Amino acid sequence: MNAVANPLLSVDRLTIEIGGANVVDDISFTVAPGKVMALVGESGCGKSLTSYAMLGLLPPAAKRTGGRIMLESTDLGAMSERQLRKARGKDISIIFQEPSASLDPLTTVGSQIAEAYRVHQGASRTEAYEKARQMLVDVGIPDPTRRLDQYPFELSGGMCQRIMISIALINGPRLLVADEPTTALDVTIQAQILDLMKKLVSERGTAIVLITHDMGVVADIADEVAVMYAGRIAEIAPVHALFAAPKHPYTALLLASVPKLDHSPKADLATIEGTVPTPSEFGVGCRFADRCPLVTDKCRSEQPPLFQSGESGHRSACWHIDRMAEIRGVAA
Amino acid sequence: MLRYAVERLIQAIIAIFGVLTIVFVVMHLSGDPTLLLVPQDASAEMIAQLRSQLGFDRPIYVQYLEYLGGLTQLDFGVSVVQRVPALDIVLSRVPYTIMLAAGALVVAIGMGIPAGIIMATRRGTVIERLLTAIVVTGQSVPTFLSGIVLIFFFGVTLRWLPTSGSGDFASLIMPSIALGAISMSTFARMTRISIIDELGKDYVRAGRARGLSLSSVVFRHVLRNAAIPVITIAALEIGNLLAGAVIVETVFAWPGIGQLAIQSIQSRDFLVVQVIVLLISFVYVLTSVLADFVYAIVDPRIRLVR
Repeated sequence: MNAVANPLLSVDRLTIEIGGANVVDDISFTVAPGKVMALVGESGCGKSLTSYAMLGLLPPAAKRTGGRIMLESTDLGAMSERQLRKARGKDISIIFQEPSASLDPLTTVGSQIAEAYRVHQGASRTEAYEKARQMLVDVGIPDPTRRLDQYPFELSGGMCQRIMISIALINGPRLLVADEPTTALDVTIQAQILDLMKKLVSERGTAIVLITHDMGVVADIADEVAVMYAGRIAEIAPVHALFAAPKHPYTALLLASVPKLDHSPKADLATIEGTVPTPSEFGVGCRFADRCPLVTDKCRSEQPPLFQSGESGHRSACWHIDRMAEIRGVAA
Repeated sequence: MLRYAVERLIQAIIAIFGVLTIVFVVMHLSGDPTLLLVPQDASAEMIAQLRSQLGFDRPIYVQYLEYLGGLTQLDFGVSVVQRVPALDIVLSRVPYTIMLAAGALVVAIGMGIPAGIIMATRRGTVIERLLTAIVVTGQSVPTFLSGIVLIFFFGVTLRWLPTSGSGDFASLIMPSIALGAISMSTFARMTRISIIDELGKDYVRAGRARGLSLSSVVFRHVLRNAAIPVITIAALEIGNLLAGAVIVETVFAWPGIGQLAIQSIQSRDFLVVQVIVLLISFVYVLTSVLADFVYAIVDPRIRLVR
């Protein structure tokens, strides 16, 4: 396990099934208080399902078939719907990819922020609105009193995401799940929202589980990264260790595919051949085998466990960690 | 907002004018009422005399222009059968139809919308299946049949309710159910679809993520969002109820404008028919304009942008 003595969140062997296939398969990670853990991977790799499972908000087709999700000493998976309701928005909050769609279009933003406070604190309307106004100041929205009376359609996407962050943080949760929080936003706004999240985390000591497919975002904000591929963790490491020396072929190829400033604009970007297997195509071995330049027979017949590799907390699910140098050749 | 209101008003006038013209032409194509007014043994001269007295011997466009001229002074013409102003005849029947339509709306909205909400939020339960059965029945049984079945069952067999007439509140119940049943099904289906559509949206998940129960999300957020298509349907259904009243009023001998319409068509009393059609089209147009204003109340995107 990771080198965290008293983790805030520990996900232990989480497995989620849809239609008989394990779309999230045996995922374990921990998050320390105040730290940012990034779950990275392509669409459909199970990262969003993992995050919804933490709030007990899996879609009806998905079933958690194994594993535990502990928030400190509380087992979230064992909670009743009523208990989960008390935890959602208070102990664990979430912000979503589409901030504008995540707000009720017919209700003022002030009322929606205040609602999040009142449902947990039983405060009066006036008190909740004052708290909401204070939150808007904290998330850097100018002229908060006027904004409270506006509707979501009157605000930009970035502004709506700030509203969502206000809703998520108004009850001072210990954990914030951010599901692609900047994907739908303009690049300049992305940076602002990330800065805002960093600031709020350090001020309040809130831990973040950040779901993203953007390595740039990871580098910017994460302390630790779990790279997911087809429902499994391929590699998990402190962020600097992962970027410095990836220990899984998938991570290495992923990093090689990120454009760099010193690349010639005419040079082709590195790509990973093939496509992600669908859940019905999952074999018994490593799920990356068909696209991996290091593949051997063992990869196809036997699933690699997470091996400890390099510095503490760096682990990779690959039989060929010692051959990573070959990948760098392929990627370059 | 003002410009919008003026635009809607102009559209409404054009629509009513179009309906009026079509009805005028169709009624005149269907024949000349003079023959129905004279005795069987009337001579050709008598018929010709009455025809010219009533003005039916003139070209149709002259009659049409004269009719339009009268309308501008709120003169809707005189019934050729009863020899009293057509408008007075129709207006004397209007309160009955309003009563019936109101009763039917209470049935349609009062049962349809709650049924739709339950069908959308309790999916896969016994109560959902039961309601689906009721809704499909309400939708597929024609009004004349459901009216007769109701009369047979509650009027003749059980003797709970009067079989026809318009004496008291009890006599309103069966016609209201017969007339409202189809609308009730329409409201139930629209409400159900609209809510299911809204339940799949991100703000519902976000609402639950901030600690609201699903039913709180439904009552605080989903219903209002789901109301918009239902308002559209409501506007159309009010017009449909008036049209449906023609059958129900005949089945239950209810003295409203529907029954009057049938009687007037049979006696080729076109001026009366024209007033009724004009009234119904006016109600259609009016409800659709009202619906637009209700949208603006419900939806700030419409209210503030315009």
